[in-house]
Amino acid sequence: MTGAAPLPRIGVDLVPLTRIPELLAPASGPALHRMLTPRERRMSDQAGAAGRLAAKEAVFKLFGAAGQPVPWLATEVLPGPGGRPAVRLTGRAAHLAEQARLGPIDLSISHDAGWAVAVAVAVAAEDPPAARATTPSVSTPTDRRAHS
Amino acid sequence: MSSSVDTQGIDKVRDWILGRHPDRTELAPDVNIIENRLVDSLAFVELVYAIEDASGREIDFDAIDVEDFQSLATIERAFFS
Repeated sequence: MTGAAPLPRIGVDLVPLTRIPELLAPASGPALHRMLTPRERRMSDQAGAAGRLAAKEAVFKLFGAAGQPVPWLATEVLPGPGGRPAVRLTGRAAHLAEQARLGPIDLSISHDAGWAVAVAVAVAAEDPPAARATTPSVSTPTDRRAHS
Repeated sequence: MSSSVDTQGIDKVRDWILGRHPDRTELAPDVNIIENRLVDSLAFVELVYAIEDASGREIDFDAIDVEDFQSLATIERAFFS
């Protein structure tokens, strides 16, 4: 018997599209270059950028790491199978996900009325890794992708 | 006691924060800017840049201690002293 049941976790965030030009302004750094990877920036228009930012924050909320800065560049949101968004965690984001004992992360993004909204879902294992011998879908820390 | 350059630096940061909130005319050094939602998670990245610009120091985003950004007082201690 492995003990307590796994815990579902959910994170949600929304970003107004009007924030994107502000984050692209030279006076801001531009901040967006610290929040979207070059690959993400190449494939994002304003709505895409807002959706990705919302998705990164939604994923961050799964970690239970309030008080830490969002690991923007270590949380990459790219097209996955069937056109669904997929999240790839590296570095600090992968470490936080492992600390939270998260399984695969699923992600959904939508846009309406000048806003982007994203929801992220994962299951946090209650048992330590050694006791989860029958769970085949545990992701590795460096490559957690959404499964369609 | 801070030098005039350091005072100018933290003043720039204060002005940056106040510039985003036209309803405010002042910001006390001990006001928690995150809990009071004067800076949200998106604006936090911009705040880091504003501090870098005002202090002339590069900040490693992966090594940030959020405690250093809680208020003008903590920002001044961490980056302008």
